[in-house]
Amino acid sequence: MEAIYAIWQRDILKFFRDRTRLVGSFAMPFMFLILFGSGMSGAMSTMLGGEGASGPLSDFNFVEFMFPGIIGMTVFNTAIFSALSVVQDKEFGYMREILVSPMSRVSIAIGKVLGGSTVAVFQGLMMLVFVPFIGISISYMTIIKLFPVMFLVAFAISSIGLLIASSLKTAQGFQMIVQILIFPMLFLSGALFPLSGMPAWMDVLVKINPLTYSVDMFKKIIFDVEQMNPVLVEAMGLNLRIFDHVITFTEEVVVVTIISIVFVVLATIKFSRAEA
Amino acid sequence: MSKIVEVKGLKKNYKDFEAVKGVDFHVESGEIFGFLGPNGAGKSTTINMLSTIVKPSEGKAFINGFDIVKQKNKVRSSIGLIFQESTLDEKLTANENLMLHCKFYGVEKNLREARIQEVLEIVDLTDRRTNVVETFSGGMKRRLEIARGLLHYPKVLFLDEPTVGLDPQTRAHIWEYILKLKEKAGITIFLTTHYMDEAEICDRVAVMDGGNLIALDTPDELKRNVGGDILEVTTENNEEAKKLIKATYLTEVKELEQVLSFHVTKGDEFLVEFIKTFNIPIKSVNLRRPTLNDVFLQLTGREIREEVISQKDRMKKQLRQGRRGH
Repeated sequence: MEAIYAIWQRDILKFFRDRTRLVGSFAMPFMFLILFGSGMSGAMSTMLGGEGASGPLSDFNFVEFMFPGIIGMTVFNTAIFSALSVVQDKEFGYMREILVSPMSRVSIAIGKVLGGSTVAVFQGLMMLVFVPFIGISISYMTIIKLFPVMFLVAFAISSIGLLIASSLKTAQGFQMIVQILIFPMLFLSGALFPLSGMPAWMDVLVKINPLTYSVDMFKKIIFDVEQMNPVLVEAMGLNLRIFDHVITFTEEVVVVTIISIVFVVLATIKFSRAEA
Repeated sequence: MSKIVEVKGLKKNYKDFEAVKGVDFHVESGEIFGFLGPNGAGKSTTINMLSTIVKPSEGKAFINGFDIVKQKNKVRSSIGLIFQESTLDEKLTANENLMLHCKFYGVEKNLREARIQEVLEIVDLTDRRTNVVETFSGGMKRRLEIARGLLHYPKVLFLDEPTVGLDPQTRAHIWEYILKLKEKAGITIFLTTHYMDEAEICDRVAVMDGGNLIALDTPDELKRNVGGDILEVTTENNEEAKKLIKATYLTEVKELEQVLSFHVTKGDEFLVEFIKTFNIPIKSVNLRRPTLNDVFLQLTGREIREEVISQKDRMKKQLRQGRRGH
């Protein structure tokens, strides 16, 4: 237990000490939300309803739509890149100090995943400072609901990160693989645009993407879907379906939990085989 | 004295290459035990096997009575390791590095504070406790690593080339600390080095070459085996002098950079006699005690060196052929 705590504590300590990383982590989501979001919102409303659309579609606000996706993106990025520290520890030698100690490899792997998850949840929650500028209101209840879901998503993604990091020796290699992985997963997750009216092959990719369910959970928590007009719900892609079955929030929790377990087990096995 | 480290027929093969060809030895509790040998002699591989980092291909070894293969974690708790390369987290402070180590090794909570204070005192870093390691000099980092290696009170401290890459002054300091350690903590120190003068400090030295253990004794005994003293002379005519020395004293003469050297017994008496009777003009003469360097030269000689080189060449050739084959 102490071992898991020690590994976790080191990651947290280093995260808060690194000011550039702290500030830098705000830059990306901010740009997406303000520059991309505001820039696209005009085009989006034109596409949805044409100039001067009336009825439910006129309520569509693209920046508002993007917000849960941006939280998801932040959690996802932070969680997967937290595993970079594993590769860096290999490069700078600290991994040997860890691996020649009597701690079990399983504790080390769990400590790493928990460290990455904690940092990612913290970053995700930090995104809530944008709330007043976007014009949506969220209650304390929303934050309390967001917290465990963020953690679950962060845990799954950190495990994927550790699995990749355990198989690689250089930081450059890790960054390259993760970049290649991140972009398609983000674009096909519904984080940046509504997932409606997609070609069938793309729809398949969307449905096997774990991020889709993660982002959708955030949306369901932040938006009051039941109170919304069905036409708007459809336009915003808030009714994720597999073979005409509308996926519920509970099902999404189950899916992401299963993904978490599978990847944390794989990552731990892979990590345990590492030689010092 | 008890055997704190026991090694029986330890072997390590990397594919066709035998890095360590079956070594047997033991280390007494409380001694400074040195591994001497050139790079690639198998020193590090042996230490890596003993410290559970590398799995041996054959043989057995026990540290503090624990099997290095079957009781890895017990062995890991019994040893401290200081590697050739730094394994500190440079973004953290000295205190944080030490505190994490306490947690990794399960040092009890109420003992940590005192232990950290204690080890920092040994290496004279008490005033740098809250500084970030990044700001430390090379020698300070080394010292901090030694301090960290002691935190969990290991029975054996392994030091792999502890002074490599440090300037002579810092090297001397590190050695002061190591000797202080032996006196104060009474732990066993197991180190590797390719500096002859460092090996002199050890209680016992094991000489390794080409994966074999070729000698093991106290530095004095090893030197005594070389035989007497060493006389080094330069003359007006080295060729003639060589022949003359060989004929009169019936001994081997080595020539290195125009200096002739040969072994003599009772060097001080011999020297007077030699200068009186030798009839080729002498330019300089030097009588000295044999060093471990002489021991090493005598033990390995030229032939073994050549073999090492040809072995490398063979490996290179294999690699090249391998590449062509694919």
